[in-house]
Amino acid sequence: MFKYSIVFDNTAWLWLFALLPIIGWLGRRSLSGLGKWRRGLAIGFRSLVMALFILALAGMQTRKTIDRMTVIYILDQSLSIPEPQRLAMIDYVNGSVAEHRKDESQDRAGVIVFGRDAVVEFPPVDFDLQLAPHIESLLDPEFTDLASAMRRASALFTGDTAKRIVIVSDGNENLGDALRQARAMTALGISIDGVAVPLVARDEISIDKLAIPPDVRKDQPFELRVVLNRETTGKTARRNVRGKLQITRRAAGHEEILVEQPVELPPGKKPFTVREVINQADFYTYEARFVPDYPADDGTLRNNTETAFTYVRGRGQVLFIVDHAEPGEFDFLIQRLKTEGIQVTVQLSNQTFSSLPELQRFDAVILANVPRASGNSAESVASFSDEQIEILVNNTRLGCGLFVIGGPNSFGAGGWSGTKLEEALPVEFQIKNAKVAPVGALALMMHAGEMPQANYWQKRISLEAIKALGYTDWCGMVQWSGREDWLWNARRSGMLPVGPNRKMMMARVDRMNIGDMPNFDAPMQMAANAFQMLDKDPDAKPAVKHMVIISDGDPNAPSAGTIRDLNRLKVTVTTVCVPSHGSADAGYQQVMKRIADQTGGKFYNVQSGRALPRIYQTEVRRVSRPLIKNISEPGLPPTLINLHEMMKGIDTDLPPITGFVMTTIKESPLVEVIMRSPAVKEERNATILAGWTYGLGKSVAWTTDAGARWARDWTNWEGYDRFFSQIVRWTMRPMGDTEKYTIATDVQGKKTRVIITALDEGDEYLNYQTMAGTAIGPDMKKHELRVEQVAPGRYVGEFDSEAAGSYSIAVTPGAGKGMLLTGVHIGYSSEYRDRETNRPLLEAIVELPAEGGKPGQLVEGALDRRDMKKMLAVDPFRRDLPKAKSIEDIWHWLVMCGSCLFLADVFIRRVQVSLDWIPPFFARARDWMMRRQAPVRQEEIISRLKRRKAEVDTTIDDRRAASRFDIPSGEAESGIQTSILEQATRSTAPPAGLGRPPEQTLNTEPEEESYTERLLKAKKDVWKDRGKGSKS
Amino acid sequence: MRIELERIFSGAMGVDWLWQGCGLVALGIPGHEVTMYTPRALWIGLLLLGFYTATSGCNRPASSSGRLEAVWGRRGISPGRLQKPRAMAIDAKDHIYIVDITSRIQVFDMDGNYLRGWKTPACENGRPTGLTMSQSGQLLVADSHYFRILFYTTEGILLDEKTIGGTMGQGPGEFSLVADVVQDSKGNYYIAEYGENDRIQKISSDRKYLLQWGSHGNEPGQFQRPQNLAIDEQDRIWVADACNHRIQVFDTDGEFLFLWGQRGAAPGQLYYPYDLVLDDQNHVYVCEYGNHRIQKFTRDGKSLGCWGSSGRAEGELFNPWALVLDSRGSIHVLDTNNHRVQRVKM
Repeated sequence: MFKYSIVFDNTAWLWLFALLPIIGWLGRRSLSGLGKWRRGLAIGFRSLVMALFILALAGMQTRKTIDRMTVIYILDQSLSIPEPQRLAMIDYVNGSVAEHRKDESQDRAGVIVFGRDAVVEFPPVDFDLQLAPHIESLLDPEFTDLASAMRRASALFTGDTAKRIVIVSDGNENLGDALRQARAMTALGISIDGVAVPLVARDEISIDKLAIPPDVRKDQPFELRVVLNRETTGKTARRNVRGKLQITRRAAGHEEILVEQPVELPPGKKPFTVREVINQADFYTYEARFVPDYPADDGTLRNNTETAFTYVRGRGQVLFIVDHAEPGEFDFLIQRLKTEGIQVTVQLSNQTFSSLPELQRFDAVILANVPRASGNSAESVASFSDEQIEILVNNTRLGCGLFVIGGPNSFGAGGWSGTKLEEALPVEFQIKNAKVAPVGALALMMHAGEMPQANYWQKRISLEAIKALGYTDWCGMVQWSGREDWLWNARRSGMLPVGPNRKMMMARVDRMNIGDMPNFDAPMQMAANAFQMLDKDPDAKPAVKHMVIISDGDPNAPSAGTIRDLNRLKVTVTTVCVPSHGSADAGYQQVMKRIADQTGGKFYNVQSGRALPRIYQTEVRRVSRPLIKNISEPGLPPTLINLHEMMKGIDTDLPPITGFVMTTIKESPLVEVIMRSPAVKEERNATILAGWTYGLGKSVAWTTDAGARWARDWTNWEGYDRFFSQIVRWTMRPMGDTEKYTIATDVQGKKTRVIITALDEGDEYLNYQTMAGTAIGPDMKKHELRVEQVAPGRYVGEFDSEAAGSYSIAVTPGAGKGMLLTGVHIGYSSEYRDRETNRPLLEAIVELPAEGGKPGQLVEGALDRRDMKKMLAVDPFRRDLPKAKSIEDIWHWLVMCGSCLFLADVFIRRVQVSLDWIPPFFARARDWMMRRQAPVRQEEIISRLKRRKAEVDTTIDDRRAASRFDIPSGEAESGIQTSILEQATRSTAPPAGLGRPPEQTLNTEPEEESYTERLLKAKKDVWKDRGKGSKS
Repeated sequence: MRIELERIFSGAMGVDWLWQGCGLVALGIPGHEVTMYTPRALWIGLLLLGFYTATSGCNRPASSSGRLEAVWGRRGISPGRLQKPRAMAIDAKDHIYIVDITSRIQVFDMDGNYLRGWKTPACENGRPTGLTMSQSGQLLVADSHYFRILFYTTEGILLDEKTIGGTMGQGPGEFSLVADVVQDSKGNYYIAEYGENDRIQKISSDRKYLLQWGSHGNEPGQFQRPQNLAIDEQDRIWVADACNHRIQVFDTDGEFLFLWGQRGAAPGQLYYPYDLVLDDQNHVYVCEYGNHRIQKFTRDGKSLGCWGSSGRAEGELFNPWALVLDSRGSIHVLDTNNHRVQRVKM
């Protein structure tokens, strides 16, 4: 399957090979003393080293050609394709892979399904994947975003394969730009095939429009206009379709039916008009719905509903949200606000708004001591979802006021830390100074085991907990990763302060993969030890210690000793039993309940993972309790810092309060601090009342309560009513005169136009006004409106309204003027308008040739059994693309080999290895094996010396005899004798390490003074001289 | 060979320190003599020796007294692939039965070739954690989260009428999480359970409750998650008492005989023993979930060696759940979190 070749990054370096002979020549000269073999080896090594370094410099690489193909099937699961054909796509993919994938080439196949979003149904695998009979991924099928699915697919390809995607779709995209994406992909060498899914022609009825006049006034009749549209296939065009048209009106939480009448629809468009009068100022939502008598007359019912809004301005209205667990806590304040002329609508926190238009009719929202999540059991736990919080914040951006009243369940103590709500208020909910607020410690234990999507939910709740914990709070997470282990700081306690480590913690959580924990005891004991370590540290000692265990309940119960330890350390343990192992009364779930009961925690038995984030939000609140500052009786009055507009005409002699929730004031010039508590030295954490402007709206934070526990003395204070009503009025949306302005919307394709008509007192056009506006879409995205004058008194702004759903629009017509509010509803996706396959798009995509390859193929067929064989004939794994090449640098390996060989070169030159030890070694080994007495080595040496001595004696005698008559003088004879003796001595000297040399037996005449003797003699002379000197 | 290092260094090439280190390493080679002259050389030599020892040992199991014969299995949900396999059994033909977290029971030959497979009737509440071959050659499945023992033929036919249990509870014949089952020579079944009950129940061959023993705790005779059972030729019941990190042995009346093992990672110690098998040479092989290894013991608890260490490479294990012994004396280890099986001879 693979083919390797060698390539170089820079071949110019290869010229250095010409230097190799020079190195050889130089080496021959400089290494001439080494002997033939050593010199040859040294030169060889040296040349090799040089060659390797040259190859490394040239950037040597291996190139692998791989005959592998990866095909990713992209299946369109949007609702424009009927369900039978969506399911038939699965058969097509299974058949195509089984028929064409080449196992010997390790071809890969993967599947992505898409609607609005793209999800990997099956990652690329090198075996014959078989999709389940139903698509398992969850999608939003109301839209078709083919481009994002293609993008997702291109991210799944690896570099070691040829790449192809197969688009199985009707081609009716309504989001993104698939053709553009296709151009980008083919340029990257990704080939694209297509399977055009044929759409069956069908009758279709839809509501084309529900129109309300822009200038609706209180008590003035106006006409609602509904336009129905019927498209036919021709066969049914002769008869009318019968059905029922219903128009409803919603306002202030009430719904009433305005019209419910039978209608007959001929082919084409048909308008209906309804007369309507609004008697009360409010935000009204109208909905028109058509229901055919025979469902078969209509292809889909999803496009049979349309919605429209109108807003009739009246007195200011306030939404007062109270905690569902304590509904009566603010009755006194509500009553007082009403007596001050403010219209108050009270909602419980678990039954409040779910969309932005619902908040449009209010001018201010009051969140009164409402926790992020509250409730006592998995069923009753309710929380503000992230979406609701975002709606609330965006509502403030659109000009509505936001007033948060404190209490033990509010701000950071209510679990709101890290949420968007914090963004909209003038205070942050966390305290970064541990000396100001005591800390809490939370240990999380993760063992969701076999629960569906266990890892996902465990990550989600861990992130919720980490986000909601305060800056100085401690957090640890114990889980099973092959053994019981902390996720961070494992070498020490396993706990870390959240603030400086929050990002690291979230990153670790994101990577964690939790295994199956066998036992509760060991990890709980680890947690107990960690809490004990924190307790011993005076700087870290937590005021609240809490542990939350999520488990499927099958690990073994903790020992009595562990529970005793946790109780001694005052650690509360909440257990959350997840739905993996059957019914709630299962015995092993009792283990978890018992842990909670024994330690003063709560037991939750959840049936769905969706409840988990709410539970964790509730549980983290236990750790946030130290944010509450209690002031001992009789309390301390807040200090007035700023005579703000809210305090106008109010007695500045304020009653005392006995507590509040500590926050950190935001460092922004927009923030105005009005009151602080003297109970906390750190001023920025002592805010009682502060306000600022957020977007087009205003928000206020009141960190103590309204009289239920901390501000009890305030309820008897004469300024109470005025104080709170003035705060509310300050936050409320401006109430200027907007009688002469009208606002209307017009949806045109993927855009909505907002048209404002402005008249002055005398009904003359008002020109040159500076207007600005904001629209918030169903996805909570903010769209800024640039409103420009297009005609006398006529102003137009425009924004993208691609997604279906409700858009809330607020326009400020000018300084000091009331806000103009309206909304627009994109009733149904264009998904339901598409009745034919978009072949031109699919053809244009597949005709694009991949870089270096051929264009793709468009497969035709009805995706049914009859056509399937023909469709499967097209091989998406065909080899018509350039083969993948994988290039790998190997220069570092060459450098490493060169370095090693360099050492070998040095070794050869510097070390002379003697092999003399080998024969004796083998001789000894042989003796040992044959159990023979080894000959005494000393004797052998002596006999060899004796033999050598005899040879030398003979040589000397011979020479003496030969030169007796030639050299008369004794001096010369002596010289010859000495030189011969030296030779003999040298030749008989034993090698180093073999012992003392044999004793010298030859006499040398005359004997010279040795060096030592001369030294001794000189020494004696010196002593003699010194003796003489001393005597003298 | 004698290397006079001082003489070599007279060349002063800047690499003398390396030679000194190499020279010291050479001390370990028979026939070499090295004379060292500087203390620096000693340190460098020790460093090199340490490096050599560390790198040469890093690819091997920490303590290896087994020889790896084969590794097979890949992660996946298609037939022949494994997704967190949790229990294993082997029949007389050396066919291996494996149940994984998808509740599929798959049959393989000894080399991992897929033969056939089927699924248990229900798995929404949880998946089986024990497999055993009965004396009559039927496959017994501890369907833990349905509180019962299922009986299958080796071809995957469910023998409904033979099912034991199915009722959750603490009474006789009721079960909490069923962990494993074994059958004695007289046909009686011994069923281990954990969760609310940490006990073993003895059920007759005609499915009548006979007796029970054990409770939650760490005293002899008590259990914390009796994860697996084995029975020897004398009908003694061997229990892998997982969370007590020990092996306990009982007679057929539930009388405690002896125990061995304690928590730890040293040879002879145990950390979450999840499975055990006995051979005919009086050895006990224990699969340690927490220590990621197989340990071989004598029947009286003396460790004879370990095989495996934590990791994903071949020869390494990651939370193994089960093991079986084939007719040739090789051990097959269910390397759960690596989604594979490794065959080893110890």
